[in-house]
Amino acid sequence: MAAIPARLRPGAPEGADRAAGEGRRRRATGLTGQLSATGVVVVAGVVVMAFWAQQYIGSVFVLALTYAVVTAGMAIQIGFSQQVAFSQSVFMGLGAYGVAVLNADAGIPSVLAMLIVTIGSGIVALLLGRIVTKAPGLALAVASLMFPLIATGYVTSANYLGGSTGMPLTGNLFPSSSISASVVGNGLIVVAVVAVVVFIGSRLLGSDLGLELYTLGVNEQAAAAMGVVTPRRKLELFVLGSMLAALGGALYAGTQLFVPATLVGVTTELSLLMMLFIGGRRSVIGAVIGAFAIQYVQGASNYISIHILLIEGVLITVILLIEPEGLAGIGLRLRQAFRRRVAPGRAAAATRRGATGTAAAGTGDATAAVTVRQDGAFATSWAAQATGGDASLLSCAGIDMAFGGLKVLSDINLALPQRGVFGLCGPNGAGKTTLLNVLGGSLQASSGTVQLAGQDITRLPAAERFRRGVSRTFQAVQLIRGRSVVDNVAVACLDSNRSSLARGIAFSHLGAARGRAFEALDYLGMGAVADVEVSSLTLERQRMVELARAVASKPRVLLLDEPASGLSEVQRAELAEVLREIGRHTCVVLVEHDLDLVASVAERIFVLAAGGIVFEGDGESFKASDVVGTLLMGRAPTA
Amino acid sequence: MKLGNLLIAGLISGSIYAVFAVCIAMWFRVSNILNLAVGDFAMLGALGTDHLVRVLHWPTAPAIVTVIVACGVGAYLYDKAILRLALDGRRRQEGIVITFFFTFALSFFIEGLAEVLFGTNIYAAPTLWQGNSLSWGGLHFERAGLLVLACAVVSGIAFTAYIRYTLSGKAVEASGESYVGASIVGIDTRRYRRNIFIMTGMLAAVFGILQSPLTGYAFNSGGTIGFTGFIAAAYAGYQKPGRAVLAGVAIGVVESLLGGYVSTQYNDTILYAILAALVLIRPSAMGLDVAVGG
Repeated sequence: MAAIPARLRPGAPEGADRAAGEGRRRRATGLTGQLSATGVVVVAGVVVMAFWAQQYIGSVFVLALTYAVVTAGMAIQIGFSQQVAFSQSVFMGLGAYGVAVLNADAGIPSVLAMLIVTIGSGIVALLLGRIVTKAPGLALAVASLMFPLIATGYVTSANYLGGSTGMPLTGNLFPSSSISASVVGNGLIVVAVVAVVVFIGSRLLGSDLGLELYTLGVNEQAAAAMGVVTPRRKLELFVLGSMLAALGGALYAGTQLFVPATLVGVTTELSLLMMLFIGGRRSVIGAVIGAFAIQYVQGASNYISIHILLIEGVLITVILLIEPEGLAGIGLRLRQAFRRRVAPGRAAAATRRGATGTAAAGTGDATAAVTVRQDGAFATSWAAQATGGDASLLSCAGIDMAFGGLKVLSDINLALPQRGVFGLCGPNGAGKTTLLNVLGGSLQASSGTVQLAGQDITRLPAAERFRRGVSRTFQAVQLIRGRSVVDNVAVACLDSNRSSLARGIAFSHLGAARGRAFEALDYLGMGAVADVEVSSLTLERQRMVELARAVASKPRVLLLDEPASGLSEVQRAELAEVLREIGRHTCVVLVEHDLDLVASVAERIFVLAAGGIVFEGDGESFKASDVVGTLLMGRAPTA
Repeated sequence: MKLGNLLIAGLISGSIYAVFAVCIAMWFRVSNILNLAVGDFAMLGALGTDHLVRVLHWPTAPAIVTVIVACGVGAYLYDKAILRLALDGRRRQEGIVITFFFTFALSFFIEGLAEVLFGTNIYAAPTLWQGNSLSWGGLHFERAGLLVLACAVVSGIAFTAYIRYTLSGKAVEASGESYVGASIVGIDTRRYRRNIFIMTGMLAAVFGILQSPLTGYAFNSGGTIGFTGFIAAAYAGYQKPGRAVLAGVAIGVVESLLGGYVSTQYNDTILYAILAALVLIRPSAMGLDVAVGG
């Protein structure tokens, strides 16, 4: 267990200052890593082009770089964000054939053709993506799997593309009368493009947008509930991945001067995936390493070329068994092991930074009691934000919800004020979580309206409701495994929700988001575990992290779905204190089976049964109610 | 008669997709892993039997038994050596994509091994039901094709009945639904995963032996032919063996009709466009709205 830095311990300087410092440190560290990765590509590229441009090592180097552009896009789209689409070879083919046609048939210089086809591919991807990115999970993978099959059929039948043979080009990327100058020039152009792609890609993954994308990949529902506009991000990822694939294809055509028909198809698709997974699926530099590994292995010797299938089969298996994050993951582990030996202090810091912002070191004081800091900056600013008054903040009228023929909610009417804790109880299957999902926007009601501060939000998606102040937790804890506690909370503090990917690359505000997340963690007395990897926490702590994430945006309405589930008596008592404090600032809707807890914290309690509200009253009348006793406590009805 | 013969051709080619789809769906049901190597077991069955009979002059029956047993033993060893480490080890690997890569690598390995053992030419196992094609009212039936069709129907019905009506089948379902939950209630998830993997590997080998007289196999045919089953299984959500058979047969029939009436050049292109559209229109109906992450 690594020592907790002094500034992260409870009692250290106030959250905002600490958070700002932490944010600056992380931002600086991220930029250093991004520039280092880019520098390595540039230096290696220049050295290879200077000494071996016309030798085997140089030609394979350039070929690998063209694939690396494609796999870098896949690392962002498929590896990091887990939007699995098998359309890269199609767009790679579009880029390659596009350059070939524009160059050979229209006489346009290859570099200009490359720009034209990359932009054109982006437009095609935008149109196609509007349809395919609506497909969820595995459906996107299966639907997009048809694209290379369709494209293969077209390409091999199209005579103007050279049919099943392929299409030659007439002009290099770097046209010159000297062959050697062309080769070197081609190589340097490709190196420059890859360097830019590595920098932009690494920067994106290390930014606040990167955190959005990671969350989207791990849990789309949680991402939407925290304000991530998931349809937009999925479309942007598809377009970005497709444009990089087209750019890679264009570079391939401009440097190899021939586009084989086999460039488009399932075999190429699988080869690209193999490069990605061998190199490291969640890392841009890993994706580049994977492209090099496969290209050099394939041509390393005659024996290997003959037995390439056997060798690649063994290679993939062994690497994935050792490290699912591929060669990049192995490299990271070796570096950490080396640093632990050479400089243990620096190693701990490096581990916390991690390649993708993951934090593995230090478990903080994971068993300490949870106490709310009522005097902290977070509580003060939240209190100042409240507008006061008893006017209804959240209301719903005539809510019906049916799944096919099954009616789950029937004519639900609620009107809740600005502040306070409001319990929602009922037997299993009563429709409590469904009502919470309808209020939070995860489900659209079959009929009826939901209003927030007098505005109709019935048709608004979860992400938009979050922006308007509706936050939530889930019945089963839904955290982002593989990321630190602070990153889990920072997801709810991102300014990037409305930004485009391009803007996110230029301006990252992850440091500021982490700062606000630190404040929320401090508020709930959880600052000590901020850097801990979230899945290493106890269930109680994970629930508290989810609560911290829900309150981090200082919401106007907080929807809590069974937050006491799995907690001990002591932990429930602590939670009750936390809920009372939060209820001073916001409107809390508490779905819970622990009736004592609900009765002790809620000022009004609603009981739901068979989709309808059968009781409404305060804690005392709740305990005394015959309906409640019969339905929830197993008491026999009084005569 | 043209329509009839096109339907027969479609049924036969659809049966090929169907058997692989059944194998893929069954193993996915128990393990949540997509098996891209299933076609390679078929290739091993076909080329292995051919090698023993044609090159080493074994009698056909012992050759077939030996090859099928060898495929089963190979699947057992792969489970023991690799899958146990990947799926049950200290660093359990989850997610459809990452686990898919293990069978992807297995496919590469088997094809590489077959290239070394059997060379690069196309061969086929001996025809089990010899004689001219059967004719009835202008319709023509290849004998091997009928065996293929029978194999698809029997395997689809058998696996569906196994899941629906046996306690062991329910355990298979439970293992796929929740690895942890099934283990807690005493289901040996590893055993079920291993047994179904071996069973589907051996079934694919049998199928390869039956089907190879129709198309022949080279060392790298398995990936291609298994891939068609992979697509067909998608339309059963990679879960339901009975529906996988129907999907495979339907794809074969549509492909054949498109080739006969629309375009022989673009029939596959049109077919894949239709299949993509189906997935995009009704993903949840096919059970494809599941996350792929891990």
